[in-house]
Amino acid sequence: MRYRIGIIALAALAAWFLPYGLDSYAIHVVNVILIFAILAIGLGLCMGVGGQVNLAQVAFFGVGAYTTAILTTKTGWGFWLSAVLALAATIAVGLLVGTPALRVQSHYLGIVTLGLALAFTNWVTNAQVAGGAEGISAIPVPTIPGVDLSNEYLYYYLELAVFAVGLVFGLFIVRTALGRRMRAMRDDALAAGALGADVPVLRMTAFLLASVYGGLGGVLYAGLIRYVAPETFSIANMFLLLGMVIIGGRQSLIGCVVGAAGLYLVRELLADHPTVAQIGYGTVVVLVVVFAPTGLAGLPKRIRDLVTRRRGGQGEAARLQPFQPYETVRPDESGSQSPILEVDGISMYFRGLRALDDVSLSITPGEIRGIVGPNGSGKTTLFNVISGLYRPTRGRIRFRGQDSTGLAPYRLARAGMSRTFQNLRLFGDLTVEENVLVAIDRNATWHSWRYVARPISVLRRDRDLHRRAAEVIERYGLAEFAALPPKSLPYGIQRRVEIARAVAAGPALLLLDEPAAGLNGDEVRQLSEIVRSVRDSGVTVIIIEHNMGLVMSLCERITVLASGHVIAEGEPAEVASTPAVIEAYLGDSMSSDDLPSVPEVTG
Amino acid sequence: MQVFFQTIIGGISLGAIYALVALGFSLVYRTMGLVNFAHGNVVTVGAYLASTFYLTSKLPFALAMFVAIAVTGVIGLVIERVLRPLENRDFDLMLIGTIGFGIVLDALVIMIWGATGRAVPSPVPSAPIDLWGIRIRTYDLVVLAIAAAATVLLVLFLSRTKRGAAMQAVAMDHEAATAVGIHVGRSNAIAFMIGAGLAALAGGLVGPLLYVSPALGGALGIKGFAAAILGGFGSIPGAIVGGIAIGVLDSFTAGHFQGYSELVTFLVFTVIIMIRPTGVFGERTVNRA
Repeated sequence: MRYRIGIIALAALAAWFLPYGLDSYAIHVVNVILIFAILAIGLGLCMGVGGQVNLAQVAFFGVGAYTTAILTTKTGWGFWLSAVLALAATIAVGLLVGTPALRVQSHYLGIVTLGLALAFTNWVTNAQVAGGAEGISAIPVPTIPGVDLSNEYLYYYLELAVFAVGLVFGLFIVRTALGRRMRAMRDDALAAGALGADVPVLRMTAFLLASVYGGLGGVLYAGLIRYVAPETFSIANMFLLLGMVIIGGRQSLIGCVVGAAGLYLVRELLADHPTVAQIGYGTVVVLVVVFAPTGLAGLPKRIRDLVTRRRGGQGEAARLQPFQPYETVRPDESGSQSPILEVDGISMYFRGLRALDDVSLSITPGEIRGIVGPNGSGKTTLFNVISGLYRPTRGRIRFRGQDSTGLAPYRLARAGMSRTFQNLRLFGDLTVEENVLVAIDRNATWHSWRYVARPISVLRRDRDLHRRAAEVIERYGLAEFAALPPKSLPYGIQRRVEIARAVAAGPALLLLDEPAAGLNGDEVRQLSEIVRSVRDSGVTVIIIEHNMGLVMSLCERITVLASGHVIAEGEPAEVASTPAVIEAYLGDSMSSDDLPSVPEVTG
Repeated sequence: MQVFFQTIIGGISLGAIYALVALGFSLVYRTMGLVNFAHGNVVTVGAYLASTFYLTSKLPFALAMFVAIAVTGVIGLVIERVLRPLENRDFDLMLIGTIGFGIVLDALVIMIWGATGRAVPSPVPSAPIDLWGIRIRTYDLVVLAIAAAATVLLVLFLSRTKRGAAMQAVAMDHEAATAVGIHVGRSNAIAFMIGAGLAALAGGLVGPLLYVSPALGGALGIKGFAAAILGGFGSIPGAIVGGIAIGVLDSFTAGHFQGYSELVTFLVFTVIIMIRPTGVFGERTVNRA
């Protein structure tokens, strides 16, 4: 910690005294670099942290610069008023450009944002108000009483201040609840939604952040160069910016800054050979993508890992501790209990395939319900319908007395439903602790206005979340794995992390999809202990499972599905002797896959 | 009315070019789920190669095209081979990787051929045919015929040959394809090669229609992509219909909005993606984005 403070102090000192050692051309280069660094932070937040492909960052930059230019030269308003309005305009454009992200992702989003960026350049080269291809010159110098900002040395300090605040704010977001949730969404939007992260709002937040930084960069550019023209905001510069972020390391804001500075300097050194420079950085982008996807920022960790591996991995391997049961909560015995979940006549068709056909269920609070059936009988489809991933073709679902048919997964999660996935959907690039933290955080994303208005309360809340996460991790015996990425853990432990995460969300109803798949005998026993304890703490559990021993011993009631129909329901012994069940299991209804892949375009 | 038809005719020949670009996008996408962002740059390279062999080396137009297609095919192979470690693992990274290749190709074009463009004369007699008052350039007919022939050949390849069938299998399920002994990497390489070849064909054909410049591919690439999406990404008939539609749309916006035509085209395209991401012929099952 002291080490880190030392480095920060040193960097601040170096930044403060930097202008003293530079000639007037060098300070100009540094000023431009700072602007690119601000843009790169914005792009890093949107793409690296939020996972939203954004090829319109250069257009945000342009909107900021052009609005400042137009307002100052055409209306005669002061620079600062124009700057504020320009920032507002950029945010508006950012949100507009971000709307397609609600519908499409990945490549589609890339091409749409690229198209919109091209549309922007097309507009400024043609519009009279934007000065056409000549652009706008004679933008007035921004004024601060007593400081001559036409002096590039003094302008440097203005930029430095904006940059420092921007970087600190960006890091603040990445390290706390909002950034964690954005990273979770980047790694697995489906799982993040099922844990209560409002994915649409988060995606817009990613674009909002990108546009704020883009707008700031644009305003500073207008004040520095005092001339704007279309070619500054061309696609070539967009790709340069992208190169900076990728080479530096898109998931690390410091990396983005280093990439921006490094790439710009190299380009400046090769100013006489721009095509050579372009071939060079294009090649580096390709190499980085293939060989070092985390960029420069990821190199220290890779080297450290390599060294440890060379030494033969000294130190003890982390061990799983036993699960500590929850305190039993006496169920409320007074009066008749209304069902926590009612599934009423649900049908789900995929084109011609009837995955579910008129399925009805009723779950009473506090029970452990088993759902069994041969492969392809529609069990997971039922879970996907209940948890809001699919909208049923017909039928209604009531959760805790409210109609919940077709509600978005994150709304259901907020209402108290939590689930695990058959094929494990842990957030791969987050640590085990962060996986749990994402689940514990129940605030809506719009609460993030506090990041601007009340940063201290954000920090305080985050400390509280960490304390609660530590409790969960301790209870599940995962303390020694807390700081590791789940990808590196054995399968059985990953399963336990996923259950811990689902329960950490504090659900009233927990859906477990084949939690025992791939576990050994001992792990199955532990699982059964965990599930029972979770139920005793007041959570209703529905469990899909093929391990009949586990289902028979754990569940109070069992529902049997076959070919999308409920063929039996009752107590374990009763169900096991039903002729229809025996036929379904021993007959020839074995068929294919039981989780049709979730369409990701809309997800 | 005559103006209306004239605009449509003008749009169709450019539309055929867009359709060829879209076919290249779609073929790569359906095989490996990747949008090749360097595709537009490959079009530029193809256009320059074809025009160079045609103008400077004085090769016949058809032969110049063949050489261009062969060279860009090799470029396609290189791109696929370098990015192969990422296949079926991280599409966002692959996307950025193809952008990297695009950056390199863009610089190479400027380095070799310079930043200024060149005009390519039409290889066929230029007197237009007059049909009920609508004038049709003969070269437009050539473009349409070649585009149609290329499409038919592609469809025959995919449906009638073993290699083509293998590519279809990879498109549906690459794991299952591996399990039955199909070399997925090779299949992807061929998709990339044909995709690049189609790009060169489009670039070579567009030379006499538009001005060949380093910026050519960028505009054609994004419009070809728009065409592919409009028709339904990964669908071959979709690419054709989408291409023609974008071509006609283009020709109308150029008439009505002059300089702003690109702006309008991109806005329309964005709205279409928002309303129907799977396009006209799109199937949800092929959708991998």
